[in-house]
Amino acid sequence: MGFFDKAKRFLGLTDEEGDDDPTGASASSEATPAADAQRAPSRARGGRGRPARDLPPAASSGPSLDDALAAREGGDRATARRILAEIDKGSGLRTLLRAAAALEDADEDEARSLLPAIAAEEPAWRVPLQVAAALGDERGVPWLDVARAGGAPGWATAWAAALVGDAQGRRRGLVELLFADAALARTVAARDLSVPGAVVDAEAAQRYASFAHGRDTIRRFGAGAVAEALARARGERP
Amino acid sequence: MSRPLLSLYTLDRATLKALSAELKDALADDDRARLSALLGLGGSLVERMQGGERAVDWFLRADDDPAAAPFFASLRRVTRKRALELSWTSAEPSLEGRLRHFDVLRDERPVAELIDKLLDPARLPWFLLRPGATAGWLDDGRRRALSSGLRPLRPALPPEVVAFADALAGADGDVVVHDGL
Repeated sequence: MGFFDKAKRFLGLTDEEGDDDPTGASASSEATPAADAQRAPSRARGGRGRPARDLPPAASSGPSLDDALAAREGGDRATARRILAEIDKGSGLRTLLRAAAALEDADEDEARSLLPAIAAEEPAWRVPLQVAAALGDERGVPWLDVARAGGAPGWATAWAAALVGDAQGRRRGLVELLFADAALARTVAARDLSVPGAVVDAEAAQRYASFAHGRDTIRRFGAGAVAEALARARGERP
Repeated sequence: MSRPLLSLYTLDRATLKALSAELKDALADDDRARLSALLGLGGSLVERMQGGERAVDWFLRADDDPAAAPFFASLRRVTRKRALELSWTSAEPSLEGRLRHFDVLRDERPVAELIDKLLDPARLPWFLLRPGATAGWLDDGRRRALSSGLRPLRPALPPEVVAFADALAGADGDVVVHDGL
């Protein structure tokens, strides 16, 4: 059940009895990062709905995503592509970046081999949402709509909405996020928006990192190129 | 510093929902005059509310931020006045510890689960929370279930838990517990 459905339920638009926030605002039983933390013995634990796959990887002896990005930033796109191919596990952000790099080099064969996995990515809302946040302006709004249509939970769309679009849209996103997950809202306010006086919430910081890592990686690679690859995989531009 | 005392409030959930919606709308519209009226602000606080890029920014600060603390306090005061009615306050600071750890209660799993629900602050809206405070709520059905579950345990319960059980049984409808309102 999505955030707004839950809100409707508590607002009396459906018949189910409320079990969580008595206002229905925080939707704490859905797959929110807050709900995960609430269920956990340690408030730092993750769970349903957490984009844990995009967490910064543990140190290993092989090349890393960071190495690929560094090579790319250094102008060595061939090395970057080689590393991306080496670390690609067949799905997720790495595959998307690999496809974006292939498309940049007009390597249609490699791109075509990767696009089906990108199109089938689950949950369908996560990457579009990260692309929206990475674009960080009006160009992100259509991707936000794609994420919503793909079933993105309220906290996630609220977070992205707080970062893209016009001032009114960003404000409304921030308010939604405050009511969906206040600790995360304060962390986003401190880290992404530099709101005066806002302080990172220690409990929310790890949850923030799990989503922000994907967004920041896309941004570092080049959000426009990643959006292009995602649009190709979906077969349409939002 | 003395340990806080748990209080039991009856909750008017419809009013709390309406207040929450009103607050959310005013923040989303950045309507500071409406917010000031909603929070019952006066004098310099009305002026302060006008400051900053967005009204919501005040509520993204820490609860104990000196500039924002009066807004949080006003919001809790208004919520208490409109949606909560004090029903009972424990005389014993030990009540929370007893509820969380007393083995007679913990051994009765359904009772323990309802107590944990009642003491889970994550289940309350953000504007009723204070850092470190104990708080939570139960709807009427769960309140009655907890009250019924406590009844047979009564002879084995310490006096502060018996008093709590009596207050819970005497309450009407949904309830909130809080030690910092």
